[in-house]
Amino acid sequence: MPTLGDLLARVSFLAAMPAVAGLFVTGGVLVISRDWRLNVTALTAQYFFVVLLLTRLIRLEVAAVKGVVGWMICMVFYLTERRASALERPTNAGDVAPSQRWRRWIVSARASFYLLAGLLISVAAYTAALRLPLPEVPTDITLACYLLAGFGLLLIGLSEAPMQVGFGLLTFLSGFDLFYVALEPSLAVAGLLGAVSFLIALATAYLRVTQVVVGSGEEIL
Amino acid sequence: MISGALLLLIVPLAMAGVVYILLRWASLSALLAVGTALALGVAVILLPLDQPVHFWGGREITLGEAVTFFGRELVVEQVDRWAMAFLFLTSAGIFSLAWRFVPHSLLFPMGLGLLSLLSGALLIRPLIYAALLIEIAAALSVFALQAEGQVPTRGGLRYLTFTTLALPGLLVTHWLLDRYALMPDETGLLDMAAALLAISFALLLGVVPFHTWVPAVAGGGMPLGGSFVLTVANGTVWFLLLDFLQTYPGFSSHPRFGSAVIGMGLAMVLLGGGLALAQRRLGPLLGYAALVDNGAALIALGTKGRLGLTLVLLSLLVRPFGLVLMAAGLSGLRACNGGADRFDALRGLGWKAPWSTAALVFGALSVAGLPVSAGFVWRWSLCRALSPSSPGSVVLILLAGAGVIVGIWRVLLVLLARPRLPKDRSVLSKGDSTEGWLTAVVVAMAILGCIGVGLFPQTIAPLAVGLAEAYTFFGP
Repeated sequence: MPTLGDLLARVSFLAAMPAVAGLFVTGGVLVISRDWRLNVTALTAQYFFVVLLLTRLIRLEVAAVKGVVGWMICMVFYLTERRASALERPTNAGDVAPSQRWRRWIVSARASFYLLAGLLISVAAYTAALRLPLPEVPTDITLACYLLAGFGLLLIGLSEAPMQVGFGLLTFLSGFDLFYVALEPSLAVAGLLGAVSFLIALATAYLRVTQVVVGSGEEIL
Repeated sequence: MISGALLLLIVPLAMAGVVYILLRWASLSALLAVGTALALGVAVILLPLDQPVHFWGGREITLGEAVTFFGRELVVEQVDRWAMAFLFLTSAGIFSLAWRFVPHSLLFPMGLGLLSLLSGALLIRPLIYAALLIEIAAALSVFALQAEGQVPTRGGLRYLTFTTLALPGLLVTHWLLDRYALMPDETGLLDMAAALLAISFALLLGVVPFHTWVPAVAGGGMPLGGSFVLTVANGTVWFLLLDFLQTYPGFSSHPRFGSAVIGMGLAMVLLGGGLALAQRRLGPLLGYAALVDNGAALIALGTKGRLGLTLVLLSLLVRPFGLVLMAAGLSGLRACNGGADRFDALRGLGWKAPWSTAALVFGALSVAGLPVSAGFVWRWSLCRALSPSSPGSVVLILLAGAGVIVGIWRVLLVLLARPRLPKDRSVLSKGDSTEGWLTAVVVAMAILGCIGVGLFPQTIAPLAVGLAEAYTFFGP
C-alpha cells in the first residue's frame, strides 16, 4: 500500500505553478458562484492545492494535518448547507415566478461583476508578487499567498451571508498560513491556526443554520 | 503544588461546561456563572503571588508560579493580576444583569469560556499566542452575540472578520521585531512592524475606518453580549497593546506615535459623537457611544505621559459601568417591545420598563462623561490634562459627549411620552411595570455603583495609578 509520501510524490509535479493556477481557479469559483455544492467542492480543491504548496515549506506530516483540518471544515460546510437546503426546500418549492427570466439576467450580471472583480484582484496579486515579494518564500508561493488573501478579502467584502463570509475568512487565512509557516514553523502555532479555522467554520455554520431555522432567507439584520 | 495560572484557565472552562448543561434552569446557571467569575476575581486580588496557599486536602496553590502549558510559559505577574481581576469582576457584573434580562442565553457558558481564553491571552508568552487566543475568543463570541431564535445579526460576523484581518499583522510583527533585534541597522523592519501593529490594533479597537463592527456588535441581537465584547474582550486588547508597548519600547518612542494615536482617537471621537446624535435606533447609539469612549482613551494614550497612561487604565476600569448599564437597559426595553429598538417604536415604554430606562440613562451619562457618573472621573481629568496643550481636542471630546447625551435625550423624550390613547394612559397610571423587584434590585445596585464611583473616585483611581506604574515605556 502506498504511503502518504508516495502519494504526494506522484503529484509533486503540481506543487508549483500548476497549484497556483488551481488556486486561481478555485478562488475564482468561490467568488463567482453562489451554488453551495460548487463552492464546497472548490474549497476542498483549494485546500488540496494549499497542502501541495505547503509540502515545499514544512514537513509532510504537518502539511497533511493542515489538509485534514481543511477537509473537515469542508465537511462541516457540506453538512450545514445540505441541512439548510433541506429546510429551505418547502418554502422554495412553490410556483416558478413569472420574472424568472429577469432573475436569471440579474444573476448573470452579478456573476459578471464578480468575475471582473476577481480578475482585477488577480492582476493586483500578480503585480504585488512581482513588486513586493514576501520574505522566506519563493515567487510562486508569494503569488499564491496574494491570490488567496485577495480572493478572501473580496469574498468578505461582496457578501454578508454567513457562508460566503466564512469562505472568505478561510481563504484569507489559508493565504496567510501559506506565508506564515515559512516564518514560524512551530507546531503550536500550526495547531492554534488550525483551531482558529475550525472555529470560524463552526461559527459561520451556526449562523447559517440559525438563519434558515428562523426563516430569514438571505437577509441579515 | 498547583499553579494558580493554570487554575485561572481551567476553572472557567470547566464551569462553562457545567453552566451549559444547567442552562435550562435560568437562575441556577446564571448564579453559577456570576459566582464563578466573582470568586475568581476575588481570588486573583486576595491570593498572594509568591506564597503558597493551602486548600482542601492539603493541596497548595501558588498564584505567581510559572507553568509550562503545551510548551509555552504562563505566569501571573502583578500587572496581569489586576487586569484579570478586571476581566472577572466585569464579567460577574454582566452575568448578573444578564440573569435578569436575558436568562437562558448562551452568554453564560460562552462568557466563561471566553474568560478562560482571554485570561490565557494575558498570561501567555510570547505575545503571538495571545493574538491567536484572542482570535479564537472572537470566533467563540459569535455564539454569545447571537440571540436565541432571532435572525443572525451582522455584529458577530463583522467582529470575527475584523479580528481575523488583524491577526496576520500581529503575528508578522513579532517575526519582524525578532529580525530587528538581530539586525538593528535595518530600521525598515521597525517601520514595517510599527505600521502593521498600528493597523492590527486599529482593526481590533475599532478605529475609524475599521469601526463598523462596533455599532453592529452593540446593536445586535444580544446587547449584553455586545457589552461583553466591548468591555472584557476590548479590555484584553488594550492590555495586550500595553504589553506590546512594554515589550518593544521602540514603538512608543517612535516619532509619529503620539500624533498617530491622537489622530486615530480624534477621528473616533468625532465620528462617534456625530453619528450618536443622528441615530434612530438605540443599539447603534450604544455602539457609537462606545466608539467615543474608546477614542478618548486613545487620545489619552497619545499624550505619551504617565498621566495619560493612568487615564487609559482608569477608562478601562470605569467603562463597564456605562456600557453594561446601557446594554442592560437596551435589553430590557427590547424585551418589552418584541425586539424592536427604533425610537418611534419605544413611545411610552419608559413607564412600562422604568428600571431598564433608568439603566439606559445612567449608563449613557457615564459613557458621555457627565458629572456624578463613573465616566466623569477620567473624562474630566483628560480634558484638564489636554486643555493647556490641545484645547481643540478638549472641545471635540466635550462635543462628542454632548452628541451622546443629545441622542439619549431624544430617546428619553420618546420613552417618557404619554401614550396617545386614554385607555392606555389609565393602564400606565397604575404603575404596571413589567420588571420584577429582583430586576429592580440588580439594576439599582449597578446604578448605585456607577454613581458611587463618580462621587468617590478615590475608590478606583489608586488601582489605575498602581496599574500604570507597572508600565514603564513612557518613562518612570
